[in-house]
Amino acid sequence: MSSRVCTFEPEVSESFAGEVMERSGQNLLACYQCRRCAAGCPVGEETGVTPDRLIRMILLGEKEEALNNLLVWKCVACYTCGTRCPNSIQSARINETLKQMAKEAHLVPLRPKIAEFHNAFMVSTSHLGRFNELECMGIYEAKTALGEMKRGGLKAIFEEMKNQAKLGTVMMKKKRMHLGYEKVKGLPEVKGLYRKAKEMKARPSKG
Amino acid sequence: MEIAYYPGCSLHASSELYDVQCRKVLGQLGIELTELEDWSCCGATSAAKTDDFLAVALPARNLGIADASGLSEIFIPCSSCYSRLLTSQKRLSCDSELKDTINAELEKKVNKEVKISSILEVLIPKVQSGEMGEKATRKLEGLKPACYYGCLLTRFPCDVDVPDNIENPQTMETVCRALGAEPLDWSYKTDCCGASASVTDTDQSLLLMWRIMKDAVARGANCLVTTCPMCQFNVDAYQEQIGEKYGIKERLPVYFITELIGISMGVSPEEMQVDRHFTDAMGLLKELKLI
Repeated sequence: MSSRVCTFEPEVSESFAGEVMERSGQNLLACYQCRRCAAGCPVGEETGVTPDRLIRMILLGEKEEALNNLLVWKCVACYTCGTRCPNSIQSARINETLKQMAKEAHLVPLRPKIAEFHNAFMVSTSHLGRFNELECMGIYEAKTALGEMKRGGLKAIFEEMKNQAKLGTVMMKKKRMHLGYEKVKGLPEVKGLYRKAKEMKARPSKG
Repeated sequence: MEIAYYPGCSLHASSELYDVQCRKVLGQLGIELTELEDWSCCGATSAAKTDDFLAVALPARNLGIADASGLSEIFIPCSSCYSRLLTSQKRLSCDSELKDTINAELEKKVNKEVKISSILEVLIPKVQSGEMGEKATRKLEGLKPACYYGCLLTRFPCDVDVPDNIENPQTMETVCRALGAEPLDWSYKTDCCGASASVTDTDQSLLLMWRIMKDAVARGANCLVTTCPMCQFNVDAYQEQIGEKYGIKERLPVYFITELIGISMGVSPEEMQVDRHFTDAMGLLKELKLI
């Protein structure tokens, strides 16, 4: 976070905080900054921003900071923060909401690989109705390589390919690689749910 | 006793050995598993992170199928699937509008609340009734597991009655003791391995797994035991990398709880597919003369 004089515009903050609360189903106003969430956060040391800080950012209307910080992307959804919160605020739900809002606002994710993985998971599942490890990894690797290429990160692409090839080889050796695929008979029904989800985007749901 | 079974995608792919073990072991304990007909993916963490509607709707399709099966209980061995189906069930029970919207899309509607059980919830009554002790005749003497629960068995994004201590769960230890093993007390049993972060944020995930490994080794554990396919895969497949990066010499096999039960029941390691581990899992069993 940059150091600057804190400005507070009640109307701006109210509308942003209101949207986050509505969509995540979490009452951020109940946070009294006890920081039990921060103490238990497994990625807090690396992200700098901890759940309590994020909540304060949202309440202060710091939309840009709230949608663009490492906690939102690096959160591993372990739910430790929410389980320990004396006011039952599930901060991981807030991170999930902010990720979706960042995507809707077409922001470049701070950690593109994390965003690409979850997107690839959902795309793969929509094709077959069941998650396919190989297809998901294929989509994920292609998308992240393309992104790296745009950023000129050829070394990163090479590293990634080397690591994945290594893991893939061991998986084959240990018979953990599954080469077949399973398609759900009720795939049209699953696709119907995806269609409905698109419709619902215009009408955000709670929690 | 017949119960419905939702294996989930992992158990039909990279963690297929867990599916084989669950069927074998629970069958021996008199539990007949009926796989849900045409089940689909629960969406796992990815749905929760990308789409609020699908996060509830994808598991709901399976809840509808379970409902239509007429069985009153559904067994879900994967922690992520277990968490997502439970969370979806909770959401539907308190949001009738959302439930109607989702049901309108489903062939098999969600009406009743089928009881959702984790593997530990299925095993504990068998320990309490003494059946486990009777069937598990080869006592696992010398096995000192660190029972690793991970995140999703005890922590949920909504209010769920957890049938164990949230911060210091004990049910896996109870099962291990019934098999004659000596589970150790340790501090990282509910810590996160990073799950998909092992792929997308590898350094972060290795750091998390190093903390887990470091404590397990320091406590004198000779193996880890888990019920979660993501935890099993990560700590097993990345152990060499963790060891190299952080200077841990020890390598610990990461067993599924079902593996230990099977060995204790006298099922052959081949049948339990113990050879499908990344970190050698046969050596310790041989060394302790358990196989």
